[in-house]
Amino acid sequence: MSDLFTSLGSFFIGAAGTVGSMGVLFGRILSRLVRLDLDGNELLTNLYKMGVRSLPIVFVTAIFTGGIMVVQAAPTIERYGAHQLLGWGAGFGTLREVGPLLTALMISGRVGANNTAELGTMVVTEQFDALRALAIDPISFLIAPRFVGIVATLFLSTIFADVLALVGAAYAGLPLLGVEPRTFYDGLTSGLLGTGDVLHGLVKSVIFGVVMALASCEFGMTTEGGAPGVGRAVNATVVVTAAGIFVVDYLLSFAL
Amino acid sequence: MIRLEAVTKTFERPVLRGVNLHVPEGSVYGLIGAGGAGKSVVVKMIAALVLPDGGEITVNGREILTMTETELAGHRRNIGMVFQNNALFDFMTIGENVAFPLRRLGRVGDSEIRERVAERLSRVGLAGFESRVPAGLSGGQKKRVGIARATITRAPLVLCDEPAAGLDPVTSQRIFDLLRDEQRKSASTVLMVSSDIDRLLTVTDRIGVLHDGRIVFEGTTEETRASEVPLVRQLLNGDNDGPL
Repeated sequence: MSDLFTSLGSFFIGAAGTVGSMGVLFGRILSRLVRLDLDGNELLTNLYKMGVRSLPIVFVTAIFTGGIMVVQAAPTIERYGAHQLLGWGAGFGTLREVGPLLTALMISGRVGANNTAELGTMVVTEQFDALRALAIDPISFLIAPRFVGIVATLFLSTIFADVLALVGAAYAGLPLLGVEPRTFYDGLTSGLLGTGDVLHGLVKSVIFGVVMALASCEFGMTTEGGAPGVGRAVNATVVVTAAGIFVVDYLLSFAL
Repeated sequence: MIRLEAVTKTFERPVLRGVNLHVPEGSVYGLIGAGGAGKSVVVKMIAALVLPDGGEITVNGREILTMTETELAGHRRNIGMVFQNNALFDFMTIGENVAFPLRRLGRVGDSEIRERVAERLSRVGLAGFESRVPAGLSGGQKKRVGIARATITRAPLVLCDEPAAGLDPVTSQRIFDLLRDEQRKSASTVLMVSSDIDRLLTVTDRIGVLHDGRIVFEGTTEETRASEVPLVRQLLNGDNDGPL
């Protein structure tokens, strides 16, 4: 029994330490962003690498997500004959929840994990120390551009995914329920959905991006133990980011 | 030039227990000791990459532990550093790696940077390697790029952490000779940590032996070769029997 309490205690102390470290890192990043002290070339490189190169995976995920929404809703829509509400239903779920959430999880797997692997490799091969030895602030040069890159990527990818998911849903409604895209569009713009629903999802995407960026940078920067350590850091990033996104999503769904 | 007084450091166990070290200006100083003795920690402390738990570290008469971030940046600009793992930036070409310290100084134009990069790469036997990437180089070539990067700013202090680790004896000797030549040309102060003691002693002026967290022997290279101290003899001869 005491072992159980010891394990639980260690887990909570470890979790508190990680959250605290991420908070300190957030403060250090913000202090650079306020002074606009970040490397422009690194920022552009990361925006391309994280954002532009994520477009194919976001495209596939979003299109099929829209289709899945219609497949799941089809029995209920058929039972109640609520074909006019298909656009509203798909739009409500996509814009407020599914779009930002699934995009974040996809980007986490691709960008967050890769970011940790890159930073972790740089740490264990002394490239971080080399930057510091050259009187270069690693936060300004490496971390702040990656933070902005991840948050911007997630925000813009969510907009892109929202649009594509709705297109996917609109065209899945025709063969599955016989709902014309025009009818779907009318349902979407009937007034039941507002700007607030769009902003709800976009605010979530920004906060998910902050969680992902902080976790991936923190675990990357604190990597120890050579190549196995990089593997452990990537694993920790994926787990903590996914868990963090769901916890934050739950809290934001109440708050917003 | 460099002075360490009663420097202590504990990680999971005490590593440095009161290191006193003096590296004279313009000399090539070799720091030797068994694996895990804390040699790399000493080097990183001088560059202020690792902070001691106690003691004083003075470089050119200035105590680095009391420096502000801005002063530390100035201190580091006066240092060229060769890392044990080379620490070449994966996301840059060889030319960009070597040019990087100069570009960050911001006082040198593009054409002069290109000239100096070409001169450095030629000097380390890698002329024309500017557009290649670190992943495509051998261990010895990476070391030489690291030396080119560490010496391009003509820094007055060069720190070398295992500059010949993992290299064959011929390449290892060439690396040491190269560092010695560079030091003679620039009159810089060089502190080298190396496990390749035979070859290290061919280029050093003075040697310090780090053991059990302290400097237990210090002398000229000749004094080191002639020393009858059991630990020094064991390190030099690689004997199984001895204090280690």
